[in-house]
Amino acid sequence: MNLGRPQQGEPLKLGMRNLYIVPSRFGLLWLGGMLLLQVVAIQLQSNGPLLLSFLMLGLFLLTLHLTHFNLQGVELRCGDPAPAFAGQPAAYPVEIRIPERCEGLRLRLGNAEPDAPRSLQAGLHRLNVSWTPGQRGRQRPGRLRLFTTAPLGLFLCWSRWDPPRPQLVLPAPQRGPVGRAETPADPEAAGDGGPSRREGADTWQDLRPHRPEDGAGRLAWKLLARGRGAHAKRFSDPQTESTLLTAAAGVPLEQALEHLCEAILRLHGEGASYGLVLGNRVIPPGRGRSQRDRCLELLALTPAASGEAAQA
Amino acid sequence: MNAAAVRLQWVAQGLLGVGLLGLQPALLLSWLVFGLTLLAALKLLEARRLGERRLVALLQLVCAGLLGALQPDLAPSLLQLLAVLVALAGLLALETGEGPNWSLLLRRSLQVVAAALPMALALFLLLPRLEPFAALPGLGGGGAVTGLNPDLAPGSIASLVASDAAAARVVFGAGGPPAEPQRYWRVLVHEGFDGERWTARAAAPTGAPDQDPAADPAAAGNSAASPGRDQATPAGTLAADPAATGGTPTGGDAAPEPGGATELWLIEASGLTPVPWGGSGQPLGAELRVNRRGELRHKGSPAQRRMYLLRQAGAPGLNGASWQRQPPTMLNLALPRGANPRLEALAAGWSRQPTAALRLAAAETWFRAQPFRYTRQPGSLPARAPLDAFLFERRQGFCGHYASAFSALMRAAGVPARVVSGYQGGDWVQPLSGPAYLDIRQNDAHAWSEVWLEGEGWRRVDPTAWLPGAARAVPATGRIGPALWLVRQWWGLDLAWGRWWMGFDRSRQEALLNRLLGGHPELVGVLVVGAVALGLGGGLAGLNWVRHRPGGDGPRRELERSLRSLARHGLEPGRGETLRQWCGRLEMQDPALANALRAFAEPYERWRHGAGTRDRRSARHQAAALRIQRRRLEQLLRRQPARQPARRPAP
Repeated sequence: MNLGRPQQGEPLKLGMRNLYIVPSRFGLLWLGGMLLLQVVAIQLQSNGPLLLSFLMLGLFLLTLHLTHFNLQGVELRCGDPAPAFAGQPAAYPVEIRIPERCEGLRLRLGNAEPDAPRSLQAGLHRLNVSWTPGQRGRQRPGRLRLFTTAPLGLFLCWSRWDPPRPQLVLPAPQRGPVGRAETPADPEAAGDGGPSRREGADTWQDLRPHRPEDGAGRLAWKLLARGRGAHAKRFSDPQTESTLLTAAAGVPLEQALEHLCEAILRLHGEGASYGLVLGNRVIPPGRGRSQRDRCLELLALTPAASGEAAQA
Repeated sequence: MNAAAVRLQWVAQGLLGVGLLGLQPALLLSWLVFGLTLLAALKLLEARRLGERRLVALLQLVCAGLLGALQPDLAPSLLQLLAVLVALAGLLALETGEGPNWSLLLRRSLQVVAAALPMALALFLLLPRLEPFAALPGLGGGGAVTGLNPDLAPGSIASLVASDAAAARVVFGAGGPPAEPQRYWRVLVHEGFDGERWTARAAAPTGAPDQDPAADPAAAGNSAASPGRDQATPAGTLAADPAATGGTPTGGDAAPEPGGATELWLIEASGLTPVPWGGSGQPLGAELRVNRRGELRHKGSPAQRRMYLLRQAGAPGLNGASWQRQPPTMLNLALPRGANPRLEALAAGWSRQPTAALRLAAAETWFRAQPFRYTRQPGSLPARAPLDAFLFERRQGFCGHYASAFSALMRAAGVPARVVSGYQGGDWVQPLSGPAYLDIRQNDAHAWSEVWLEGEGWRRVDPTAWLPGAARAVPATGRIGPALWLVRQWWGLDLAWGRWWMGFDRSRQEALLNRLLGGHPELVGVLVVGAVALGLGGGLAGLNWVRHRPGGDGPRRELERSLRSLARHGLEPGRGETLRQWCGRLEMQDPALANALRAFAEPYERWRHGAGTRDRRSARHQAAALRIQRRRLEQLLRRQPARQPARRPAP
């Protein structure tokens, strides 16, 4: 299945020029079985095995075409890939337009395990193919192999395609030290006056009656054990002025980026305001999904060499 | 792993298991099939991966094919076909990952088989067949199953077991069956006699090289006895090849027309190489030979059903039965002197008659005068002088006793004689379906004598027929029960199947090729390749048609067709978009087309969702109306310039 010129570009329409087909190992075994029946039929001058062996040969010739028709005319496009984390399984979306029916289609990206065969009706299908990106940055997922052995497994028909659209791969989040740069006061927080407290996870504040959505982690077990009812522990984070995150000093850049990634996701989850300073790029503090995405993208795309230089 | 696939494979395995029940354990191939089926079952039990399950499917197919070689009858063939279909459905389920919808998988399997069948039939009918590579004794060797025995020693049989098992079925051609008194079906000719036992030794070893005159002691003795007369038939055998006997050459019209002047015999496993025949007629097919004793020998495995064709006597180009004019040898007069002294004394009186015919007449007169009685339970005869005991003391026995005693008497009187065993009679059956046939049972087994009359040749003499009261007395069946009636109807079908299925052998195929190709046998390659290509194209087109055959009622089909035409022009409804919404969207792009589509969609929706009746008649009317709208729409589409493919609403 590693034969044949890998196809480039988008969209890719599969046809005679970029589909390859060979008999599978089972197909060769099938021919062996057919020959055995032929020998028996000739030796015994018997019509039953003779007709069955010819039927097997007919099926062999027929499935050559049926297997090819499965992929003939299939059109491939890249979907819009969502950001993924390095080292973790990621889903790469592929849009497949099937002109007729496609049976037993299997997809495989790079060296990942191929997925289970599926049968698709005519029309547009959005499929996610799983792969595991190795490093951060804008990564192309590697070679996509489409193949099918349906309907009888006698032939293997395949095509190879390099999907052109890269997927944004973020550093894998890792808890660890992050540096904090000096910042001007958070414009939002400054207006409030006085330090306020927000719900958080760091400092214990008080108790309140437990609600189901609080989860078991916040249940005051000791009180419950004493028979004083279910209470939830309330924590709060001191509402400080917004942080400006930066790579921790003395930590290798890649590791520092992983820590930063974790910190950004955590701060975003808490609804805090944060910014990011990396090398000579500064993202001023802010909140929300777009702030998170901008920061993560910066993490993903920070050039490794210049990052090392900045550390030095 | 797909659960439906696993279950289908187990069903196929079960069907093969049922097929195994009918196997003859005497055959080596039976054990091979048994082992292979067991292997497939064990593999199925432990298989986890796709490759292993595929292997199981292949093993099942091979098993079904081997079963087909052993059991070519109608019922097992149907069973094997079913097993093949189910095994293929299992394979399909493995490959496509389709759900547990059995009927869908079986239907698909049927479609694929039907699509491959034209190719298979083209190869089956047209690809020239090969001769067997070599005689493999193990595959076809077999013990005696039922019926006749190469050794005939009536004295040692105390009681004849009446077996109602089927022996043979015969379909006669245009000539019809012979008259009832002429229905003697010869199988074995017993020439050796040791005073008690008649042997057909030379014919006994199955699979032995066929009747080489040098190797055949009888033939060698013959040429020594009368070298001058042996010139008539070279090699001492009647060659089966029609060309050798002055018939029409092989090929051409050598293969019989069904219903022509041919007999078709279908015999059950007998364990004997010689097969029954009427003694006249010309065997068709290379596996048949008539030897000089008049035995018809069939090269096929004696432990399975065999089928063969004979051109009936009286057909033009036949020069009678040569075996009848084969002169006797010393063996035909051999008689252990002193073994039965009273018999010899009786025969000595007849031997004073000048000719063999007169001695024969004297014997007949004597037999008719004695109080002989037919019985199937005569008790065994003494070891000393058994024929004396039979002829002069007990005077009761079955056909074997009479034939044996009569032949011995003739030999003692100096007339060459031998015992022939085979069948006599048979029931004439006219089933509801299939051809009328003669049903011969093991009950009909019979033995009679042949004597050599100078100037006439071998003449059949049945001493049992001389007994008072039409003698042989097979227990008359009289009225047949419903079970037998059903069995006979089934046999009618079976025979029709056999005539068609087993009858298509090499010679028939050659005849077909000759008819198709005329005088250009070199074109057979072109014919085969062309037919296979045609079959492949036809199969693919058929599958395509089945796939695109629209379901639902007439209006629904019209809708599907319209949508397909629109899709060809890059126009498709968006996800979840109704027809009406789509018309609205098209309005902005192409008002004319939108109007045409609306003219189709509105009556369709009115009919489909409105209050009126939706029976078959209204569906037909509606479909006719919609067809007009669809044609308009397609006309409009044709006039438009080619569009960008896949113009779709933004998701």
